[in-house]
Amino acid sequence: MSDIHFEGVTKVFSRGGRPFTAIDGIDFHVADKQFISVVGPSGCGKTTLMRMVAGLDHPTAGSVAVAGREVTGPGPERAVVFQQFALFPWKTVYDNITFGMRSKGASRAERDEAVAYYLKLMKMEGTEDSYPHQLSGGMQQRVAIARSYAIDPGVLLMDEPFGALDAQTRTIMQEELVRLARVNPRTVLFITHSVEEAVYLADRVIVMGRNPGRIREVIDVAQTRDAEAWADHPIDDVMEMPSFTHLRGQVWRLLREEMGSDR
Amino acid sequence: MVATTESSSAGRRRLRLPRQLLIGLATVVVMLAIWYMLTTSLGVIDPNRFPSPGQFFAALEQMMTTGYAGGNLIDHLLRSLVLVVSGFLVAVAVGVPLGFVMGYDKRAEAFFNPIFLLLRPIPPLAWIPLAIVWLGITDASKMLVIFVSAFVPSVINTFTGVRNVNRTLVEAAQVHGATRGRLIREVYVPDALPLIFTGLRLSLQAAWTTLVAAELVGAFLGLGRVLSTAYRDINTAMILLAMVVIAIAGALTTQALGIVERRLIKWRTGP
Repeated sequence: MSDIHFEGVTKVFSRGGRPFTAIDGIDFHVADKQFISVVGPSGCGKTTLMRMVAGLDHPTAGSVAVAGREVTGPGPERAVVFQQFALFPWKTVYDNITFGMRSKGASRAERDEAVAYYLKLMKMEGTEDSYPHQLSGGMQQRVAIARSYAIDPGVLLMDEPFGALDAQTRTIMQEELVRLARVNPRTVLFITHSVEEAVYLADRVIVMGRNPGRIREVIDVAQTRDAEAWADHPIDDVMEMPSFTHLRGQVWRLLREEMGSDR
Repeated sequence: MVATTESSSAGRRRLRLPRQLLIGLATVVVMLAIWYMLTTSLGVIDPNRFPSPGQFFAALEQMMTTGYAGGNLIDHLLRSLVLVVSGFLVAVAVGVPLGFVMGYDKRAEAFFNPIFLLLRPIPPLAWIPLAIVWLGITDASKMLVIFVSAFVPSVINTFTGVRNVNRTLVEAAQVHGATRGRLIREVYVPDALPLIFTGLRLSLQAAWTTLVAAELVGAFLGLGRVLSTAYRDINTAMILLAMVVIAIAGALTTQALGIVERRLIKWRTGP
């Protein structure tokens, strides 16, 4: 059981000496193994929200609890996939994927097995001894995702993981992530700028507003998705289905309202 | 960034290398010819001001056989090399850990930085008189001065490298359960390594500079001693020889450091 509980979470930064409320009193519950996408205009505090779950930032007021325990610092049960991949350039693909496993004391055999499993899953066989700079952006991000999955975290946090990839690679990665999430379901908090990506991947989409950062609305996708059997269609077809475009339009309208809110 | 562009640019470089080498060799030959013409066949330059190639090689022969200024080439070179390398190694052994601690821990920085700010503006050569008063004209006094000069670049560059560590990589290690020990060994050290080596190269250069100055002031053996003796004898050939030997020895030690660096930072070019 790895659910996330936000209770009155508020984050105030000091911006040029003046206090700036990045997040204002968020109450929310993410159920175990639920995939949540978070969209919102820049400056709405979505990354801050994720960092507080990761334990890399701390709320000014309120609390974040994962699996019933309050988050006080970073830990391997809440792995993060970063936008800029954040692979260790001095480590091979093998050592990057198994970095977290070693923290948990995995044996050599277990590590070999995990690397073989993920490289096969991601069609990257034979790259064990490559260094990150020898890989394309899409491959680097696959390795970063494998690094996080490999420690079997209760919660997986992704901060615009496909933001630095080109459009085609991005589509492939979205499909792969859905595939991965199906064989290996996790509680996921997925931050993104892309409305399509948010709707395609998530069980629920959180739309955030800014000034101050807060939850504007939560849109359920899972029901429609399962009813329309998106999983049986390739991603391009899904994105043209009326059920998908309807949800996308709904998220878009909310987002546009929020973006115009400070004009 | 992508594998294909890396390998193709490396391929182009490999193709260009022989031609570069040829041009380099041609430059050397032309320089030697001009040197010979000016000093020997045309006689434009007075040998008391600058030696001819013949005088230079005669000096080299004398240095290899009977010796000059109290020893032969090997005696002088070895003495200087031992001083430079040992002074450098001690400076690095103290400077790198100190810079690391200062970069990692703000309290350590607060403690050491004032001492550092006071000592740093003093030119290393200004320590020579004090070193001689304390330790006499000995190897120990020279090592002290070399240590002082080589110490500063090691500390500063290691400090900067650790202080500017890639925060995202630190966070990536933390969220994947790294302990403090692993964080230091597997993130801080490798991330700071390129800058640490920059510091080491500067330290090595400083060590050679300081050595020559210290030996000029007073020494019984060593390349600086050759220089000071030859200057009193107005032996320009011997002066030039000592200068060339110092240049080659400095270049070779820098090369050796470069080999160590490439071994340790192999991820930059890949296996």
